[in-house]
Amino acid sequence: MTASEEYMMSLVGHKFPGGKRTIAHWENFLLTDCTTSSQLSNGLAHPIALFHIPIQGAQTSIAELFELGKVKDVGTVGLDGYDWEYFQPLREEVEYMCEGEIIEVERRLTESGKVYDRFVFSIELFDSENQPVARATSYWRLRRGQIER
Amino acid sequence: MNVEVGTQIPPLEIPSVDEQKMKTMAALLRDPYPIHWDAKGNEQMGIKGKVVNQGPLNLSYLVNMLMEWQGADCIRRLTVDFTGWVLGGDHLTACGKVVEIRSSSDTRLARCEIWLERQGERLLEGEAIIALPVD
Repeated sequence: MTASEEYMMSLVGHKFPGGKRTIAHWENFLLTDCTTSSQLSNGLAHPIALFHIPIQGAQTSIAELFELGKVKDVGTVGLDGYDWEYFQPLREEVEYMCEGEIIEVERRLTESGKVYDRFVFSIELFDSENQPVARATSYWRLRRGQIER
Repeated sequence: MNVEVGTQIPPLEIPSVDEQKMKTMAALLRDPYPIHWDAKGNEQMGIKGKVVNQGPLNLSYLVNMLMEWQGADCIRRLTVDFTGWVLGGDHLTACGKVVEIRSSSDTRLARCEIWLERQGERLLEGEAIIALPVD
């Protein structure tokens, strides 16, 4: 059993609790190492921190997003794309305020006729003076099997 | 180096995607999705003995290419589509080229086509907006 279309549509506008998040030096060091890059200087955080920092800072999680999207099985979540905007570089040891919501859900069919839900959420980061720092929009594909009507 | 429409961004080679880094990444992201660390479980998806790299790591190879080209704070926007899985052990190449230059009195931006390929197959593609030095 998977999510009904009505349930999925009801998620549009779901706001995450929101909150604050700081990128610790150790965390940025390990993150940067994972990318195979040399470490960055001047306290800059690796730009791909714009995936998990907004999610965690908005007080949600990948696990909770899976739960909201009623993801059940391995292989049923796909990543369609990102739209990441940087208004300022991300930095270590700077507290960011994070707020966001699910902005779009659409039930679609693949070319071969399989059902999936396009699941889009967007989270913005602000600095301590409430100036915009970055915006991360993620486009996920939730593949569906048997659909609950 | 002068940057103009058609300029090729120096490519970045990733000789072998490291499965151990995917495990560290899963911990940092608090990502419970087992396709990134359970090779045995992936057999049901037809991937034998392999794990799937995280999307942010795939994108990071393009980001690293861009930062090596124009500096660590050069990225203004990344818009990308994921078109295929990157697996542990894959040999990848991050590529890009300038398709437009936008200039104003105090900014100079390059719109770049970027893509990540494995033996000619594009697994990730899109655009980057990159800040260039202003003359």
